[in-house]
Amino acid sequence: MGIKAKLNAATLLTAWLLAVPVAFADDQPVKGGTLIYLEQQAHTNLYPPAGGFYPNGGILNQITDKLTYQNPQTLQIEPWVAESWTVNDNATEYTFKIRKGVTFSDGSPLDANAVAKNYDTFGLGNKELKQPVSEVINNYDHSEVVDPYTVKFYFKKPSPGFLQGTSVIGSGLVSLKTLALPFDQLGDATKIIGSGPFVVESETLGKQLALMARTDYNWGPSKLEHQGRAYLDGIKYIITGEDSVRIGALLSGQADFIRQLQAYDEKQVADQSFAIYAAPTRGVNDSVAFRPDNPLVADIKVRQALLHATNNKEIVDTLFSANYPQAKSVISSAAAGYADLSSNLSYDPAVAEKLLDEADWKKGADGIRQKDGKPLSLAVYESLPQPQNKAVLQLVAQQWAKIGVKLQVLAGTSGNVVTDNVDPAKTPLVVAEVGRADPDVVKSQFYPKNRDALLQKGGLNPKAIFFDDKLNGILETVASETDRSKRLAAAKAAQEYLLDQAYVIPFFEEPQVFAGAPYVKGVAFEAVGRPSFYSTWLAEH
Amino acid sequence: MARYILSRFGQALFVLWAAFSVSFVLLQSLPGDAVLIKFQNPDYGLSPEQLADIRAAYGADGSFLHQYAHAVWNFLTGDFGYSLQAGVPVSSLLATNLPPSLLLAASGFVVATLLAVLIAIACNLSGLAWLRGLIQSIPSLFISVPTFWLGIMLIQIFSFRLRLVPVINPGPWEGLFLPILTVAVPISAPLAQILLKNIDEVLTKPFVPVARAKGLSHAKVLWRHVAKNTLLPVLTVAGLLFGELIASAVITETVFGLNGIGGLTKQAVDSQDVAVLQAIVVIAATAFVVINLVVDLLYPVLDPRLKTKLGAA
Repeated sequence: MGIKAKLNAATLLTAWLLAVPVAFADDQPVKGGTLIYLEQQAHTNLYPPAGGFYPNGGILNQITDKLTYQNPQTLQIEPWVAESWTVNDNATEYTFKIRKGVTFSDGSPLDANAVAKNYDTFGLGNKELKQPVSEVINNYDHSEVVDPYTVKFYFKKPSPGFLQGTSVIGSGLVSLKTLALPFDQLGDATKIIGSGPFVVESETLGKQLALMARTDYNWGPSKLEHQGRAYLDGIKYIITGEDSVRIGALLSGQADFIRQLQAYDEKQVADQSFAIYAAPTRGVNDSVAFRPDNPLVADIKVRQALLHATNNKEIVDTLFSANYPQAKSVISSAAAGYADLSSNLSYDPAVAEKLLDEADWKKGADGIRQKDGKPLSLAVYESLPQPQNKAVLQLVAQQWAKIGVKLQVLAGTSGNVVTDNVDPAKTPLVVAEVGRADPDVVKSQFYPKNRDALLQKGGLNPKAIFFDDKLNGILETVASETDRSKRLAAAKAAQEYLLDQAYVIPFFEEPQVFAGAPYVKGVAFEAVGRPSFYSTWLAEH
Repeated sequence: MARYILSRFGQALFVLWAAFSVSFVLLQSLPGDAVLIKFQNPDYGLSPEQLADIRAAYGADGSFLHQYAHAVWNFLTGDFGYSLQAGVPVSSLLATNLPPSLLLAASGFVVATLLAVLIAIACNLSGLAWLRGLIQSIPSLFISVPTFWLGIMLIQIFSFRLRLVPVINPGPWEGLFLPILTVAVPISAPLAQILLKNIDEVLTKPFVPVARAKGLSHAKVLWRHVAKNTLLPVLTVAGLLFGELIASAVITETVFGLNGIGGLTKQAVDSQDVAVLQAIVVIAATAFVVINLVVDLLYPVLDPRLKTKLGAA
């Protein structure tokens, strides 16, 4: 902490010595220039369904196009590579008309055939090439090329979330050459051939990635104001792992845009009139989920007690900024299907103590509650991608200690975390969070065949005995109900049920936070917070 | 001499094999495996059946001996395999990470040696005798400066405040200046300490007063007689430090955003990326063996008395 304080002091001093560059408020976009983008971590595999990892999404969103475009303001699905589409009544057949003249950067056409091959791979996987199935595509059966610019998809069961699924980063369209490569080789960005406004020019693995604009690009989402090629000539991604170096470089003019700005650094960036972009990830909030298979948390009263012993306001006020709204439900208030359930999430230690007393957990000599000689002591692994997760969990541990519950916050290697997290005996709690701007997101997080945060029977844990048919039934309705209002009602029911049963304790709505120099204009974000630089330009500075 | 070199070579091969096998056993006994770590990642949201298919596709379910034989065979045929986590061949990971590490380590080492020698000289200059106590405490100061803090301070001062060198998009040497200094400072400390201690010790030897009595100046005694006699122990420690240097560069690499073996190792350990780790272990073992061989072979060159002993062995 001492070092951190010194560093902050040094950066502040540096900042104070700089003259703040004043951008000329000229709204006319300027062509040219290279955006210097500092990224915290190197990308991993760039197979589009692997685009969920923040660094991967930040690249894929510039080099690939999607069939449809989800308007980040209205969350409506708009045309992009697909000019129009039709869906049958029970959402088992989708027909897309493909825009003519779209090409991949290797010159091959983006036509019905290419789209069909992309979705066959995403929907079914490819065992031979080790390509996994995409999380966003449910119940996929097969594709049919109706004519060179018409493609039809068939589903085994209704798949109302599919249309939105065609708009996400994980559904970026790539050329047949890329699809023919084994999964192993797709970490090499130069091999990802898309049809996007930018193309990978060169890469130094783990260090740098250079994109250049495609001058012949002319197929941006049709409802966008900006058409034609990107304004920028290129983007240079430079991996800079250290937080203080990224901020220092931005403030001293060595970089234009940085990803992963920590809440405690926001002030010094804002003080110099640099822009902070907190893009919502619009899905399941930053939370912890219980594993009811663990006997300590099997009793609903214990879970409810912990829910009411958690002071979200204190978490947000102590550790975060206004960019991290306190959770009002299981999913974000900006997500489709959100229902305000903040009254169920009240902080009330008196109620918590009463519930634990009722459940026969009595305070022992050391202040920790006990039952049959066993202490009420729980463990959870910190989650590295979530902002300040360790600090969040430690604060929760302090809050729970007040009612006599011990929470151990563990750190471990990926191997430990992965194996222990499927064992409810070791970790009765897990950190949950996922972004997707569709009601399907709640199923993704809690359904046993998907992310399975509750570790139900039939999911990741082979020894599980816990399952909740009522919950799973609601989640299946969310993923297959074709009537929109009924589907949203199911999404609301899922949130209510998850909180009634106290399966989840949501903390806050997680944004992805970036900072940019004042002369960087026209930065946009897709619906779950990945940046898009298609309309970005650099004003005079 | 030929027999000596041959036996040292045999030892080197054994060390390499042992390092490979021990690391293989250790990696296999860890909980989880690379396939699990990569694909159980919630980003993919795969079902257990899909996960099982992928494991089968990667042969992650094969027997221990089978996987070991597979790994040894691949290495002998020069195939380092694919990094499961990064999705690129291990050989290209090494090609991008090894040269910068070697350059940083070698230059850091040279600068560290220079710093150590400078400290030793300053300490023995008669004109600076009044400062001797202060100079002698420099090594303890250097060794207690945290590398992380030093790196950040150098960046804040020289790059962000004085704007002398950029950290983002620097030229090839421009970008190395601060990292080299960061690496060199802590490494120079033990070298300087050993140099100082040895000089003091050699100065008490009987030949020193003899040389002085013959009319040599203090500086000449130091340069001609003492320096040569202090080199051997310094060389031994230097050999060990060089290996440590490559391994401990991870902090410097992280702070400056440099490519290197340190960062690569950290990532590979975290994701249990076996192919990458095996390659790193073999390379590290090779470097260590080669450096120590070179040091051993240099002994007789520096000290003629050792030549006869080795010849007899």
